[in-house]
Amino acid sequence: MTGLVRRFVTLASLLLAWQLIVWVTGVPGYILPGPLSVAGAFATHAGTLAQHATVTIIEILAGLLLGALLGFSSALSLSSFHTVRRWLLPVLVVSQALPVFALAPILMLWLGYGMVSKIAMAVLIIYFPVTAACFDGLRHTPNGWLELAATMGASPRNLLRSVRLPAALPAAASGMRVATAVAPIGAVVGEWVGSSAGLGYLMLHANGRMQIDLMFAALVTLAAFALALYFSVDHLLKHALPWHRQTLLDNENEQEIPHDV
Amino acid sequence: MTATPPPGVRVHITRLAYPGHTVFEELKLQLAAGQCTCLLGRNGSGKSSLLRALAKLLGERVCELHVECSDDLPLAGRVAYMAQEDLLLPWLDVLENTTLGYRLRDRSHTRPAVVQRATQLLQDVGLAAFAHASPAELSGGMRQRAALARTLMEDQPVVLMDEPFSALDAITRLELQNLAARLLDRRTTLLITHDPLEALRLGDAVYTLDGQPAKLSAPLRPTGRAPRPPGDAQLLSLQGRLLTQLGAGA
Amino acid sequence: MTFKPLLAMAIAIMVLPGSAAGEKLTVMLDWFVNPDHGPLFVARERGYFEQAGLQVELIAPADPNNPPKFVAAGKADIAISYQPQLHVQVAQGLPLVRIGTLVSMPLNSLVVLAGGPVRTLADLKGRKVGFSVGGFEDALLKAMLAKHGLTLADVTLINVNFSLSPALIAGQVDAVIGAFRNFELNQMDIEGHPGRAFFVEEHGVPAYDELIFVAHKESLRRPSLAQFVSAIERATHYMVNHPQESWELFVGTDKSLDDELNQRAWRDTLPRFALRPAALDIGRYRRMADFLYAQRLIAKKLPLSEYAVDLFNRP
Repeated sequence: MTGLVRRFVTLASLLLAWQLIVWVTGVPGYILPGPLSVAGAFATHAGTLAQHATVTIIEILAGLLLGALLGFSSALSLSSFHTVRRWLLPVLVVSQALPVFALAPILMLWLGYGMVSKIAMAVLIIYFPVTAACFDGLRHTPNGWLELAATMGASPRNLLRSVRLPAALPAAASGMRVATAVAPIGAVVGEWVGSSAGLGYLMLHANGRMQIDLMFAALVTLAAFALALYFSVDHLLKHALPWHRQTLLDNENEQEIPHDV
Repeated sequence: MTATPPPGVRVHITRLAYPGHTVFEELKLQLAAGQCTCLLGRNGSGKSSLLRALAKLLGERVCELHVECSDDLPLAGRVAYMAQEDLLLPWLDVLENTTLGYRLRDRSHTRPAVVQRATQLLQDVGLAAFAHASPAELSGGMRQRAALARTLMEDQPVVLMDEPFSALDAITRLELQNLAARLLDRRTTLLITHDPLEALRLGDAVYTLDGQPAKLSAPLRPTGRAPRPPGDAQLLSLQGRLLTQLGAGA
Repeated sequence: MTFKPLLAMAIAIMVLPGSAAGEKLTVMLDWFVNPDHGPLFVARERGYFEQAGLQVELIAPADPNNPPKFVAAGKADIAISYQPQLHVQVAQGLPLVRIGTLVSMPLNSLVVLAGGPVRTLADLKGRKVGFSVGGFEDALLKAMLAKHGLTLADVTLINVNFSLSPALIAGQVDAVIGAFRNFELNQMDIEGHPGRAFFVEEHGVPAYDELIFVAHKESLRRPSLAQFVSAIERATHYMVNHPQESWELFVGTDKSLDDELNQRAWRDTLPRFALRPAALDIGRYRRMADFLYAQRLIAKKLPLSEYAVDLFNRP
């Protein structure tokens, strides 16, 4: 319960600091609106915000799912087939090095301005983190287990299924956490380059009309969703891997290791 | 319980070498059928390498070895291996870990006969109440007991153990030695250890490895059935000799 | 004997940077450098700024929405902006004032592919229209469609973020609004996909100044602003009188500006520059304010003198 109170207090103090900065520096509303005017924008444009938020949320979730599937299967192919590794590994590295912003217009031309191109952007931006993390996990199965399995006469399929895949899950989970944090960027950048709906689109539109408070409201909505998504995915992963105790947020809950009596 | 009597194993290593350093050259070791052979030596003496070579965990480039069994059957596929770490898979419970070999070979780990035997083994090692616990809930000693159960589940005539109890405290170690001695009766066992008392308690033949390339000493053969009482006078005097042997290479 | 020191002095004067200790002015362009900015570059190259005692720095923005904000925040002295956006910006509280006009008629147009299915604006029904966010395009479109009995609901608006011509050529949209008639039309023609334009002022939108100069409300007393506008007037007249020479001055500043597109755009923009940059057409600004108010783009109409002035008509 104290965790919740702590987070609430952190949030409240951040908001207070924000409002104080606005008051003290006298920064104009068209550069940095205060939390109160942003709250006003929320009230006035609730419907619009909800409508556009839905679009972006769908894009992010779909991109995350598809990107995760693609990344995981790529990692599997990479670890199983040497020829795949030779061809796919450079592609992988390039996909990370290229700024997504540069590819966005091309994707728009190929896939149109609807949700599909935004989903593609999100997939592109998470493809490398997911694949790299899963591949790493598959490559680094602890030797002890591999040796034990060898002495037991394990078949390659069962080895993959019962040892290497589960052993790779913590690394895959790491990759998923990174992907969750980064997928929203792909979707929003896609919307900036060309769209007719979504929070990124709304931000641009509001900015063009000097409705900076609305722009911030859209920004806050996006941030709130991204946070909620991250926490949900983290929670899901913890549940899926109950045997893997160390997670990013959970250090205060480490269990006591039982000692020999 | 194996149906056929366990074989004796004759090991001849022509050469075992890592880049830059030769571990063994022309080393011969005999594992007496149904008996426990112990190998002692300081760290780096090559004792683990020998065991790993037998377990077929070393590549051909590293090790040239020739193995013969007294029953003229190949050694391959008749070996159970227990390492220093318990190697329990954290995503499986204790019972599932025990039947790991069956899962990995042909997914027969759910067959009632298999489950029943595993449950019995867990009872033998004193973990019956923890069959469905996850490895994280067990202490170090309990985990090694689970590993022992898994090793026995393999039901192989030859058992290779690489310092299986060295990570445990002294009392737990003694308890597990007793357990192992009882359950490994009538199997051909090679036990690597750095604890002279353990070797003397469990081994029917105790060798030390020393030198570069390493050479086997003449074996000590303690009398009496394993597990021998630690306070035994014979044991203590033999331990003295062992320690001298081990220190002799310095 | 007196020749050498004289020569040395002459060389020194030529080599030293514009040592006219002029007042510095930062001018933010509306977009990357293009023929619309002709008068600024001609004024600089012909020395008109220097002669007026000004040291002018021209900056191209990364985001076209920024220049007015920068001026409002005091980070730049003058910005090139658009008259309709000015009305919206001051309604939102930005302390901006129009001090001069660069292009005194609309450049904005709705463009379709010449060989495409859209022959009249009525054909836009059920089609996709691309635009760049300026905050104004849907109001334009609404007015243009109204003349043909259509509403915004009859079309799908898609933000293509300045990629107007490519989107149109690729067929991703059936029309684009926000395309400048001097620029995008030429661009499409060069690409081999000529377009056809519907000029906004011919379809129900009141005529307005496409490009204007804005400055901060508090800076109006500075004499440098009036001098700037005067220099622009000189440059514009020079351009109209000497189109070829002024083109060469323009591309002389940067070789990469010398391409087919800019050549054509230069020719098409020339007749549209404000020949009287300082003068303010009060009626025009009032009509646009009324139009935007009716379209509900601004919540209230402010007194014109608060945001548009003729610097030479000061009390």
